[in-house]
Amino acid sequence: MFRYALKKITYGLAVLAGIVVVVFFLFNILPGDPARMTQGQRSDVQSLEAVRKEFGLDKPVPMQFVYYVNDLLPVAIHESDSTARAKYHYTELVPISPEKSLVAKWPYLRRSYQTKRDVSNILAETIPNTFILATTAMIFATIIGIFLGVISAVNKDTWIDRSANAFAILGISAPSFFAGIIIAWLFGFVLGDYTGLNMSGSLYNYDPFRGEVMNWKNLILPMITLGLRPLAIIVQLTRSAMLDVLNQDYIRTARAKGLSNRQVIYGHALKNALNPVVTAISGWFASLLAGSFFVEYIFGYNGLGKATVDALELSDFPVVMGSILFVAFIFVIINILVDIAYAFLDPRVKLT
Amino acid sequence: MSNSPGNPPFSKHIIPYTFLIILLFSLLGCAEKNQDKGKKVFNINLNEGLTSLDPAFARNQNALWMVNQLFNGLVQVDDSLKTVPAIARSWEISADGRTYTFFLRPDVYFHDNPLFPQGKGRKVVAADFVYSYSRIIDPKIASSGAWIFNDKVNGKDAFKALSDSVLQITLKKPFTPFMSMLTAQYCSVIPHEVAEHYGKDFRNHPVGTGPFRFKYWKEGEILVMLKNEKYWETDGTNKLPYLDAVKATFISDKQTAFMEFIKKNLDFFNSIDGSYRDDILTKSGKMTKKYQGKFQLRTGPYLNTEYLGILVDTSMAIVQSSPLRDKKIRKAINYAIDRRKMIKYLRNSIGTPAHAGFIPKGMPGFDMEKVKGYEYNPAKAKRLLSEAGFPNGKGMPEIKLQTSTTYKDLIEFVQGELNGIGINCRVEVNQATSLREQIAKNSINFFRGSWIADYPDGENYLSVFYSKNYVPIGPNYTSFKNRKFDALFERSFLETDNEKRYALYREMDNLVMEESPVVVLFYDQLINLYQNDITGMSNNAQNLLILKRVIKK
Repeated sequence: MFRYALKKITYGLAVLAGIVVVVFFLFNILPGDPARMTQGQRSDVQSLEAVRKEFGLDKPVPMQFVYYVNDLLPVAIHESDSTARAKYHYTELVPISPEKSLVAKWPYLRRSYQTKRDVSNILAETIPNTFILATTAMIFATIIGIFLGVISAVNKDTWIDRSANAFAILGISAPSFFAGIIIAWLFGFVLGDYTGLNMSGSLYNYDPFRGEVMNWKNLILPMITLGLRPLAIIVQLTRSAMLDVLNQDYIRTARAKGLSNRQVIYGHALKNALNPVVTAISGWFASLLAGSFFVEYIFGYNGLGKATVDALELSDFPVVMGSILFVAFIFVIINILVDIAYAFLDPRVKLT
Repeated sequence: MSNSPGNPPFSKHIIPYTFLIILLFSLLGCAEKNQDKGKKVFNINLNEGLTSLDPAFARNQNALWMVNQLFNGLVQVDDSLKTVPAIARSWEISADGRTYTFFLRPDVYFHDNPLFPQGKGRKVVAADFVYSYSRIIDPKIASSGAWIFNDKVNGKDAFKALSDSVLQITLKKPFTPFMSMLTAQYCSVIPHEVAEHYGKDFRNHPVGTGPFRFKYWKEGEILVMLKNEKYWETDGTNKLPYLDAVKATFISDKQTAFMEFIKKNLDFFNSIDGSYRDDILTKSGKMTKKYQGKFQLRTGPYLNTEYLGILVDTSMAIVQSSPLRDKKIRKAINYAIDRRKMIKYLRNSIGTPAHAGFIPKGMPGFDMEKVKGYEYNPAKAKRLLSEAGFPNGKGMPEIKLQTSTTYKDLIEFVQGELNGIGINCRVEVNQATSLREQIAKNSINFFRGSWIADYPDGENYLSVFYSKNYVPIGPNYTSFKNRKFDALFERSFLETDNEKRYALYREMDNLVMEESPVVVLFYDQLINLYQNDITGMSNNAQNLLILKRVIKK
């Protein structure tokens, strides 16, 4: 078991390393000079050189790569002076030479080229927002989806079933970009006075005289948009699973025992129908994190997606790299956990 | 199997359930609407984000706009683009034009901050300017505004505080537009205590002397600035500013931002974009019936020239192999484009067709009569083309025009016009970043560009054609080199009489038009929307946001 887990973790680390290499070299091949992107329309050689030096872009690419990896590694070699200490917040392990020592630290993701803000700072601020958005979208999709799925299975071939089905097809086929604009326009603008919802905005608002206020309502429209597609799929899945189950013998038995319709459906049928639904839900969560990119952009919701799209447009390598690494890290962790969980649960999975 | 016959269990409940859900959502929504009564907050959206509030990095419009609320410099521009006093009460320029002496106001204080003794804002002294300007040219800071001083002064020693209230700047060579240049936001004064304490993070802990002071910034979400109660500038006997606060949001989607403006959640809107331009403006540039009376629409010249650049240095391989090396062909292109039609139909009359030079309308000294550019004349274009050896474009190799996505429609119009006279032109759409890099490296020979005034002096535009600003030293992206132009340009530095200097500018501009390293398309126009209760907005050709005199009823 331990060896199995170790193998999976090694594999995950290899994936992360591969991503670092690919993204780093992709950025170096791509046209667009990051130093120039930090300048206005007018610049001169001195300024450009100063910027290149600051970002370490004046060094040859392989050297830049070595420095970058050294910054990322939790155990790395750094100068032992006070500037480096303030920059990396490290704990010294072993002094190597008078100037350098082996240190332990959190991966240092550098500062944004564009804003000079700490990337870890940007991530720390945007990730919780994205996480909240993805989680609530999933909860919304699950609750409403199962509810609609049950209703349409129970009312098979009535107008309810057909409209739920039509809704599901619409939900699956509408790209979230398009759905987002429509939803923002309809509920935030046309009906804005009735719903009281904003077309855009983030979790926090700030009143100039009162300070920070939480703005949960700004979550509603992006949540619905993001949850729409999983919702549609959950409706379909629940419906077909329910129909399957409702045809089983034990349902007939339950009815024969004289249980009420409600008890049969929720007590007996739904419980059994949920299995495939739950499996599907757990697999989507990670992709919802990724799917939130467009939704965040449209609703001006300050999450990881918006930060990454903005950074990409400006060749802001450290931010893009930071967010890609984070998302990759989450995927890898989830995969490892799932693999290990399967090994526990399913004896057919070989532990080699 | 079947349900209990005749009684589908949920269809009965589905309608009440739905209502319940909708009700719940609306309740959540109505929870609060807060705005302190009587307090006036100016709401603005910055759709391109905000990179920094440090004046040393004020390199794009949004940063300039916000920095302008928080900081002051020695001098500032008024609405007619004249340089007028700010922190410097008055100034003297030595006879040789190299030494500038500034006399500072005694009543300017920095915003309160815990890093000052007792947390009270300290008085601004000449040494603060020495610090701020030296910081701009410090390579360790890597300010994007270093070019302002780099080629004009000999290092930090050029800035001297003669006393607390007297500042002296010594230039390497006389440079008449220097005062105009000092109005740039890069030249704002900052306190060394705060800047040194925060280092790179001064960007989100700004302290200045401006009409508003920094309060809160959640990046990508909200920026709040509050009234500086101790602001030094007055409007007659009234204290400035009139607003109690400025609140900026960061919605990147322009369409959403526009709808927020219609909902009156924003007081000001200026990025009228392709997708809804027709909704707001008629083809002749008036507000459509739908919105008349609902908002104020203000227009005016904007110091931005939109042009096509052409590499002209025949020593470059890329130029030698292109038919564009021939002046006649460049002129033919200039004559072939119907700029009036382009402005009317593609831009809803936002902008002025460029029939003069490279210096845009609105710049002091601009004169359409005295600088002759190109009118639409397809017959002449065809004649020039055949003189160049390609009658009706026959035998002329294909030329490639490069643009970024945003300007695709304009460039495709140009392509149509060129095809109309027989020039075989292909459009290549590039990512903005990579296009910019290629232009800056002289690696493409026909491209779309724009030049926005860094400071309101024609020199800023003409410097683009000065041979000493060749790439990579400066912004001469067309590799234009002309002895006569260089001589005139250098002479203009010494000319202190404005009218005479403007005459020199016009002479140079005519020269550039004759050689045609650029095809000037149009001079841009401001198009600002305000809510009806806003007064006192400044519409200046630099498109600088000035909020200190704004009143919200």
